[in-house]
Amino acid sequence: MSDEIAYATIAELGARYRKRDLSPVEVTQALLARIEKLDPILHAFVTLTADSALAEARAAEEALRRGDTRPLLGIPVAHKDIYLTRGVRTTGGSALLADWIPDEDATCVQRWRAAGTVQLGKLITHEFAFGLQFPGHRFPPAKNPWNLDHIPGGSSSGSGAALAAGLVTGATGSDTGGSIRGPAAFCGIVGLKPTYGRSSRAGVLTLSWTLDHTGPMARTVQDCAFLLQPLAGYDPADPASSRAPVDDYVAPLGRDIRGLKIGVPRAYFLEDVDAEVARAFEEALETLRRLGAEVRDVQIPSLKGTHSFLLILMAEAYAYHERDLREHPELYGEVLRERILTGALVTASEYTQAQRIRSEICRETAEVLKTVDLLASPTALKPATPFAQAFDPEFAFPKSNMAPFNMTGLPTLALPCGFSSAGLPVSFQLSGRPFEEGTVLRAGHTYEQATTWHTRRPPV
Amino acid sequence: MADPKELTMEQLRERIRAAGVTIPEHRLAMVRKLLGAALAPLQALDSRAIKTVEPAVRFSPEGQASHE
Repeated sequence: MSDEIAYATIAELGARYRKRDLSPVEVTQALLARIEKLDPILHAFVTLTADSALAEARAAEEALRRGDTRPLLGIPVAHKDIYLTRGVRTTGGSALLADWIPDEDATCVQRWRAAGTVQLGKLITHEFAFGLQFPGHRFPPAKNPWNLDHIPGGSSSGSGAALAAGLVTGATGSDTGGSIRGPAAFCGIVGLKPTYGRSSRAGVLTLSWTLDHTGPMARTVQDCAFLLQPLAGYDPADPASSRAPVDDYVAPLGRDIRGLKIGVPRAYFLEDVDAEVARAFEEALETLRRLGAEVRDVQIPSLKGTHSFLLILMAEAYAYHERDLREHPELYGEVLRERILTGALVTASEYTQAQRIRSEICRETAEVLKTVDLLASPTALKPATPFAQAFDPEFAFPKSNMAPFNMTGLPTLALPCGFSSAGLPVSFQLSGRPFEEGTVLRAGHTYEQATTWHTRRPPV
Repeated sequence: MADPKELTMEQLRERIRAAGVTIPEHRLAMVRKLLGAALAPLQALDSRAIKTVEPAVRFSPEGQASHE
């Protein structure tokens, strides 16, 4: 199969389906063949659902013949393996759930199914969205298509790798401290963490209730917009779900960004950033200026407390896993087990103080977003880490440029803005006001159309 | 960034005892580094300086509860 089909956008596939020069069955068969060829190297998929995918593709063909105009009809996608799928095992990347077959779909799975997508299978996740699988684990970790010796980022590792390698057109991810945006950054793709409450978490394994977000990953901003559309909207099954009105995310793409005000909180986000990442980020800001945006520095002093987000994450993760950890500790990856157990060592007072720091970050960020429309920052401090480094148990969680937007819940889009001298992708992120995904996507799309980073392909 | 030395191994062992969990000896250094880094912002904080009032729940004019 040509790269042209493997890397086609949603709009391109839809146009070709409707011109009858390509069919969902042809695309599904071609992607299944590509997965068969490349996935033994990449380990992006944990479960392939070829038969049901072909059945869904045939149903999509029928619907196309009837004139069905849904934009996601026949679009091949796959789900991070913490999204429950009825009748299809959902492992969470863990030996604990290795053979678990849920009897219900996550709301996001239902919504993409109802939108007419073809669901190719389940994508490997870091174990319970928190721990890279170390050598000897039941499920091997996904590899980065840009360099197989490097991690693809996590925890939505399979989603990032599969998209970069042209195995799927869209994928779900989840983001508790950057798990959509990190793989997007390391794999040279696009990931959107929507506003907390915009996309349902019902039927998705929990890592941390107050930090978890679900959202789409794709290769272009427009594809992310298409994929977000059915995910957005109230879901009574998720207590955090919002009733805020859902915008049209696709139609405004292409409107210019002249006069859009973009703030850069340098005092936090540019500290400890690799020189090549910093250079690519400055060039991205320059491009945005050239496109008409007004870019200026802003200050959010409370961000210095961001690392306390780990106290919240670990305490909540321990609360979720406590019983399984006590009854089946041997079924958790060793390093992950101790990471979650660290949550048991956080006192109630420390958890509360971390939430108060979070409130201060939210308050200050909201004040800044009264003066600018968006915030821009490098997504990751440096390009993808080598496995050799990530497999060191002492490898610590570095300062995170992504966690502030899990703390604040603000919509944040990660998209490519360059490559390192070693050929690894570099990314920046745009964050907006609550429920203003449309503005974030519009600015990202305008930037993307003025650059070519998203058109580069990994050497797989 | 955090200085993991701020949490001593003795303090870590005391926390482990109080929590009633078991962490193998060869992972203590990792846990100390992880917890020490996460606690660092709190150690730098004067909690009395934070003025925010924490809502447990919010009510819309229609009477619907929210904790967003």
